[in-house]
Amino acid sequence: MTRYILRRLLLMIPVILLVTIGIFILIRLEPGDPVLTFAGEDRNPELLAALRHEYGLDQPLPVQYVIWLSHALRGDLGRSFQTNQSVVEAMAQRLPATIELGAAALLISIVVSLVVGTLSAVRRNSAVDLVATSATLVGVSFPSFFLGLILILLFAYVIPGHLLPPGGFVALTADVGENLRRLILPAVTLSTVSIAVNMRQIRSSLLEVFGLDYIRTARAKGLSERSVIASHALKNALIPVVTLIGIQVGSIIEGAFITETIFIWPGVGLLAVQAIPSGDYPVVQGVVLISALAYMFSTLFVDILYAWLDPRISYEGARA
Amino acid sequence: MSAAAAALPLQRRTRSGSLRVFLRRNPRLLVGGSIVAILLLAAAAAPYVAPYDPVATNVQDSLQSPSLRHLLGTDDLGRDVFSRVLWGARISLSVGVISVAIGFTVGVSTGLLAGYLGGTFDLLVMRVIDALLAFPALVLAISITAALGPQIQNAMIAIGIVAIPGYTRLTRGQVLTVRSQEFITAARTVGAPPLRIVLRHIFPNVTNTLVVQATLSTAFAILAEAALSFLGLGAQPPTPSWGQDIAYSARYLANLDWWMSAGPGLAIFLAVFAFNFLGDALRDALDPRLRRTA
Amino acid sequence: MATKLSRRRFLVLGSATALAVACAPSTGGAPGASASAGGGAAGAPQKGGSLTFALDSDISDLDPMLSALFVDRNIHYQMYDSLVRINAKGEIVPGLATKWTTSSDGKTVTFDLRQGVKYQDGTTFDAASVKWNLDRYRQKGSHRTGELAPVESVDVVDDHTVKVTLKTAFAPFLSILVDRAGMMVSQKVADAMGKDFTVHPYKAGTGPFVLTEAVKSDHYTLTRNPDYWEKDQGGNALPYLDSITFKPILDPNVRLTNVRTGQAQVLTRMSGKDIPTVKSDSTLTFVQTSAYGWDSMIPNRSPGALFSEARYVKAVSMAIDRDQLLNDGPAKGVGAVAYGPYAPSHFCYDPSFKPFAKADPAGAKKLIDDVGKGPLTFELLVPSGSPDTLQLAQLIQSQLKTAGITMNIKTELFNQIVKISEQHQQPGMSLYGWSGRIDPDQNTYDFVVTGQPNNDSAYSNPQVDQLMKQQRTETDQAKRKTDLQKAQQIFAVDDPSRVWYDFAASILLTAKAVQGLEAYPDQIARLGYGWLKK
Repeated sequence: MTRYILRRLLLMIPVILLVTIGIFILIRLEPGDPVLTFAGEDRNPELLAALRHEYGLDQPLPVQYVIWLSHALRGDLGRSFQTNQSVVEAMAQRLPATIELGAAALLISIVVSLVVGTLSAVRRNSAVDLVATSATLVGVSFPSFFLGLILILLFAYVIPGHLLPPGGFVALTADVGENLRRLILPAVTLSTVSIAVNMRQIRSSLLEVFGLDYIRTARAKGLSERSVIASHALKNALIPVVTLIGIQVGSIIEGAFITETIFIWPGVGLLAVQAIPSGDYPVVQGVVLISALAYMFSTLFVDILYAWLDPRISYEGARA
Repeated sequence: MSAAAAALPLQRRTRSGSLRVFLRRNPRLLVGGSIVAILLLAAAAAPYVAPYDPVATNVQDSLQSPSLRHLLGTDDLGRDVFSRVLWGARISLSVGVISVAIGFTVGVSTGLLAGYLGGTFDLLVMRVIDALLAFPALVLAISITAALGPQIQNAMIAIGIVAIPGYTRLTRGQVLTVRSQEFITAARTVGAPPLRIVLRHIFPNVTNTLVVQATLSTAFAILAEAALSFLGLGAQPPTPSWGQDIAYSARYLANLDWWMSAGPGLAIFLAVFAFNFLGDALRDALDPRLRRTA
Repeated sequence: MATKLSRRRFLVLGSATALAVACAPSTGGAPGASASAGGGAAGAPQKGGSLTFALDSDISDLDPMLSALFVDRNIHYQMYDSLVRINAKGEIVPGLATKWTTSSDGKTVTFDLRQGVKYQDGTTFDAASVKWNLDRYRQKGSHRTGELAPVESVDVVDDHTVKVTLKTAFAPFLSILVDRAGMMVSQKVADAMGKDFTVHPYKAGTGPFVLTEAVKSDHYTLTRNPDYWEKDQGGNALPYLDSITFKPILDPNVRLTNVRTGQAQVLTRMSGKDIPTVKSDSTLTFVQTSAYGWDSMIPNRSPGALFSEARYVKAVSMAIDRDQLLNDGPAKGVGAVAYGPYAPSHFCYDPSFKPFAKADPAGAKKLIDDVGKGPLTFELLVPSGSPDTLQLAQLIQSQLKTAGITMNIKTELFNQIVKISEQHQQPGMSLYGWSGRIDPDQNTYDFVVTGQPNNDSAYSNPQVDQLMKQQRTETDQAKRKTDLQKAQQIFAVDDPSRVWYDFAASILLTAKAVQGLEAYPDQIARLGYGWLKK
């Protein structure tokens, strides 16, 4: 097992290197001159040159890359061109909001999909099952930003009394109630796609497990249906679900970009989306790098977990 | 997961039965296919059936709620939302098709070559693919579009690139399984040139899976284009585009002018739904080994 | 969404179109001349209470030397005092300098400084401190070097007198000291904080409020300066409020909702579409006045470019219907039409200067025919991401169509458009504005004089150059006015450098309880005078 993990980690090194080069080149390709952004209305050529020098933008691209990488290895991702804040600090400040939103969405998604997924597998072809399976198909196809807007329209504007705010954020430490009130709509929006995917997966893996010998044996032994589902079927069906949840870290990260934008939720996604148009390279590079790393490691974690849960998988040949 | 299909050499299933029998056996195909056909038709016929010019402004008629004159109302410049939705189908569907074509062509050819040639080439290709897969798909698409500039062509390229790894891995996996099989070994011993082996013997074995993958990734592409345009990185006004139109009109929600977003929003849903539905149906019909326990 | 791609800089430049479009002249809102929230009817000011101010974006720098964004100034004006100020009419009045005299050749300005003023950290404000500040602003890497370029040297005459020597006479000089280039900071605090000064300049100013907490992108809290030097007319100590919290809220809908629901009490930037609703909301006070900022279409007038033909530029200027742009466009009727860069609150503004008072598509057509090269087709570069600006561009597009002019809209990132235009590479025109300055020279000179850094239209007209240079050295305001107006006739009409179409307005939307605030033409609220009615 340790060997397997080590092997996977080693394999990641060249990939991470490629990723950093890719990110760097991509972001630097962005059209426009960022100096014009952070110089404001002042076009004094001497000032522009001084700023270009200060931020190292007058160096050749490969040199800029090496400097950026060596700083990044020491945990320094530079300073925002625009607000002069350290990128690490800016992300650290916004990460709790993103994590809170992601965790809430994941929680909603797991609870809803477990309950509905199990129900629809147990009562296969019933009305519940039919509604659930159709809802699944709708869920994966519904654009999350459109859903977000519908929710805002309903809860912030149409239903009298401004039930929920149209967006914005209050820190959990400042006011728990207000924080949760503002969390509801974005968390529901972010969870829809994963609910749909999870539910489908839970249902089908449960159905598969039901067909297996030991469940039939359990049933034949006269165990109650409830305990068959709870202690035997669900436990086994959860293996692929665990994988799925891990994979969803990705969809949560990318969903955060959109959801945070709609609800002005001040997480790292919104940070990047706002930094793109002004050419604030350090910020965009930082956020994209962190999301890629988070995604890679969560995939790795899932692979390891899966390998550990399911002994049929051999560690050696894992990467096809 | 995707590479799960073991290869039965050269399936000719679909050719033997007539299309009608095939469709009758798979009613979901008919449903999905019809919606897709209707969407394609709407996109093609937009210039003839749209009641108004989608970009002509008429401020006297601005912000009207849906009526018989304007089925989906008008926006803040008095443009007919229904006409813009029809024209928007052209953008969305062409982005879907073109970006999938990019992903398909590049992905399948690298996958075939990597799988067939193996060695250093394979290693290199797969590291690049790993690097591409290191990003959540939409984050990668956002970064690429941001790099190339906020234009619809760039959004197409970005979505196309994001789609590549799926095809490469799928194709490569299939090639690896097929390559070791007897009839390929036989072809090799006879001295058939590698390219011919790839094209004549290996490629046909993966087409069914690829067709399914292409349909599903068209759904993703349409959704991704809408998301990019929503973030201001895709189509730009006055071009009618669903995602962009939703972003443009979202600020009027607070004034309860909901209809400007409703038309394009439902259109995106319908298009994505249609391709997803069709993709699922195709998977069940063409590739029974992938059929879910349903 | 409008603001998610919040181009900070764009918000600065594109003032009127993008955001302050919302802004307005004297129509509507507050009837009568008073642009003050609450007016005089509210009785004597009451002490105490706190306010939340909803900013339209996060700030960049609290150090006036490094500040590059307009939004920063909302906070600067509460913490720092500058040497001179403007009143709500835009006239220059004493600040930390009580008096100033300009030499007859216009090359030296001597300031008498206010006595007994202390920085919030306890150090004394005096002539040496003024010299240190102005020299600091003129050093390499400062964002104020451009504004202070006319300064040759700063000399301490005595503890309370400073003499500034200019390279040449420079009429707009005082107006420059109103803003960041004239703001005084404590040397002790700046030295002690080092690099951190830009984020946490605690106790650095002499102003009515002291910065006590700065949490980047979240909030900035300022509390009452108990030792503030200024008194109100009744002799009571200013300021009245105990504290102010600034919160960046980027989305205009959310910002407005915050004020409506009482989570914030003041905002100065809003979307035009909401103007009618807030005007009729009895729980809010909406006031507005003319601002200095303008919006324009910037043609590329370099030799060989399409718009090197002056008649084409004039045709576009004739064909657009400025009233419709203002009333039916994103501004929803608030703001003022513009034919040139001098705003209604500038001393040289001429209300009768209306060269394109009515859209004249026929006249435009005729001009184009006169050129004799067939119909006019050009491309307008529009910053991406702002629905308001795009709405306006599409409106212009349809107006030009009536004159047979085809304008294709192309969207690009804002700083890409600036880059293109700065190098005079725009194929047709670009669309962006200017946030406006107190002196008309600063709204004009860099945009029309040959080779100046903001002359993105590559405009060059010897007569304009001569007039604009001459007015700078003119010590007689009446003569200056004549020069400026003569120049405007050329660069806006006869040989147009660009197409100006609207002025921003300064907006102040507050909760009903907020009193004592006035809308200033520079769009910045002076919260030191504000109080809360209990």
